[in-house]
Order: sequence, then C-alpha cells, then structure tokens
Amino acid sequence: MMKEYEYIRFLLNKYWNCETSVEEEKQLQNFFSGKDIPEDLQKYAPLFRDYKESELSIRLGNDFVKRLEAAIHQKEKEKQYITIRIFAPVLKIAASILIMVTLGIGIYFLANENKKPYFAETYNDPKAAIKDATYALEKLSEALQKGEEASKETFNELKNLNIDWTALDSMDVETESEAMIEPNEKENL
Amino acid sequence: MNNEKFHHIILSLKDNLYRLALSIVHDKAEAEDIVQDVFLKLWSKKDEWNNIDNAEAYCYRSTKNLALDRLSSRAIRRTESIDSQQESYAFIDSETPHLQFIRKEERSIIYRCIDELSQNQQLVFQLREIDGLSYGDIANVMGISEDLVKITLFRARKKMKELLEKYNDERI
Repeated sequence: MMKEYEYIRFLLNKYWNCETSVEEEKQLQNFFSGKDIPEDLQKYAPLFRDYKESELSIRLGNDFVKRLEAAIHQKEKEKQYITIRIFAPVLKIAASILIMVTLGIGIYFLANENKKPYFAETYNDPKAAIKDATYALEKLSEALQKGEEASKETFNELKNLNIDWTALDSMDVETESEAMIEPNEKENL
Repeated sequence: MNNEKFHHIILSLKDNLYRLALSIVHDKAEAEDIVQDVFLKLWSKKDEWNNIDNAEAYCYRSTKNLALDRLSSRAIRRTESIDSQQESYAFIDSETPHLQFIRKEERSIIYRCIDELSQNQQLVFQLREIDGLSYGDIANVMGISEDLVKITLFRARKKMKELLEKYNDERI
C-alpha cells in the first residue's frame, strides 16, 4: 500500500508539471475514485474524482440524435430548392432585361417608322440623278409645249371660223327673255 | 469518412461537444443548438470529408469557435450557475447524508476553482481532464501551439492545486 501511495505521489508531481501521459492521468483518477486515500492527498480528490464524475453526468437528451436526423433530413430537402432560390434573383434580372430589350427594340422601330422620309434618296451617283432629272424635265417640257401648240391651233381654228360672238351672246339672251315672257302670254291668251 | 463514421462520431462525441459548448455558453438549450449546428455543418461538408484529417478535432474546434461566437454575439451572461446544475446530480444511494453533503461541497469547490481560471485555461483543462485529448489535439482544437498548450495547462493545474489547498486550509 505504501508503495502505491509513493507511486501516486510520484505521479502527482509529474501531473503538476504536466509530464504525465493520458494513461497515467487515468491511473490518478482511478486511485482517487477509491476509498483508501491518504489524509494529505484528500484535498486533491475533487480534482480527480468529482470533476470528471460531474462532467460525465452532463449529457444530451436521448432524443438529440432523432432531432439531429430530422434536421439533416430537413436540410437535404431545402437543398433541392436552394438552386431555384439562388437563381431566383438572377431570373428576375434576366426577365427585367428581356422586357427592357423588347420594349427598347419596339420603341426604336416605332421611332424609325416616324422619321422615315417621304422621298427617299434612290440615286447614289449625283450625275445620273441630274441626267435622269433633266430627261424627265425635258419630257415634261415637251409635253407642255405640245399642249400649248395644240391650244394655239384650236384658237386659230376658232378665229378662222369667224363666228360673231356678240350675236351669239344676244341670241342667248333673247331666247332666255322669250322663255320668260312665254308663260305670261300663254296665260293672257 | 463515410456515413458510418459520421454516425460513429455523432454517438461518441455528442456529449463531449455538449459539455464543451456548455462550459462556454452556460446555457443548456444554446449548447445543444451549437452541437446540432456543428454536426449539420459537418454533414453539409460531405464532399470534403476525405480532406478532413482529424474529424474529432475538427468537431471540437467547430464547437469551441461556434460557442465563442454565440457568446460574444448574444452576450450570454453566466446566469445559470454550474452549482445549480450539480444539484440535480444523482448521488450513490449507499452514501450517508453527511458524506453526500461533503461530496456536494467538494463538487462546488472544484467548480469554484475552475471559475478562477481564464477561459483558455478552462478549455485546455477540460479538454485534457475530461476528454483526455493529447496535447497535439488540444493545440489543433484551440488553434495554438503545443508548447502553449503545455504552458496553459501547467498554469491551470498549478492554480487548481493552490486553490484546492487554500479551500482545504479554510475548512480546517
């Protein structure tokens, strides 16, 4: 017994100097859990016996593992939706951009439609344009000239007919006055 | 690591991690929540399991960090004293009421001594005395060197020795 106490004292010294192994510390704990502890070592008993006893009595409830499994299950479920949740803002942004681009293109085409010139430039070469324009104007001029000549000829023909325009005008008035008087005369008759 | 190892870690470490979290946040519900979060985090890193060398140390470290984060963010006060937790401790029936009284007093003495240690000292002390971790693993969990672990533990034990002797002298 004395030898064991000596060994314990030796281990204790090592313990205070942090030179004991985990195994040796277990030996100390076992020794202090027993009943034969020398008087002068009693004061260290709480350290080796009661501390560990008290700590080991602190345990999680029996349902901890069940609750943990439920939490893991829940997490796995959430994982499936997490991709959608992560991309939700991106999808929103993409949708907004799509709407803006569509609106932008629409407005752009509408605006272009309004700006469209009524007479579009179809010639690239100005000389060709002048040439064609001159040709067109000459044609127009010829047509107008023909028209003028034709009207002149008509006037000349009319002159050649020697019509008494004043007589014709008075004839017209006479027939008109006759027509006015006629119904009254008929009444008188 | 595979699913089997994961379940093994849960079953073997859950109470240790709970004690570690509880020693930091001093709130049972909070500590339980922390342990659950640590395991959920480990589960979500399923693809990286092969890259985690020491899953046990990883769990301890995550628990410690998460508990310290919660402590600082929620400013949990140490309202629930450890002494009151110990009152629910089941004593061995064969002990006399007198012996029970002495034991109860000793239990509170040990926690009164631990309260005197700095937080780092408390954590290193607990990881060694209760969880039986090697100096290397404690260094890994605490994010400090092995030498610093030894120095911290040496100071913690020295202080515990002094306090236990002091309480013993007062009783006499």
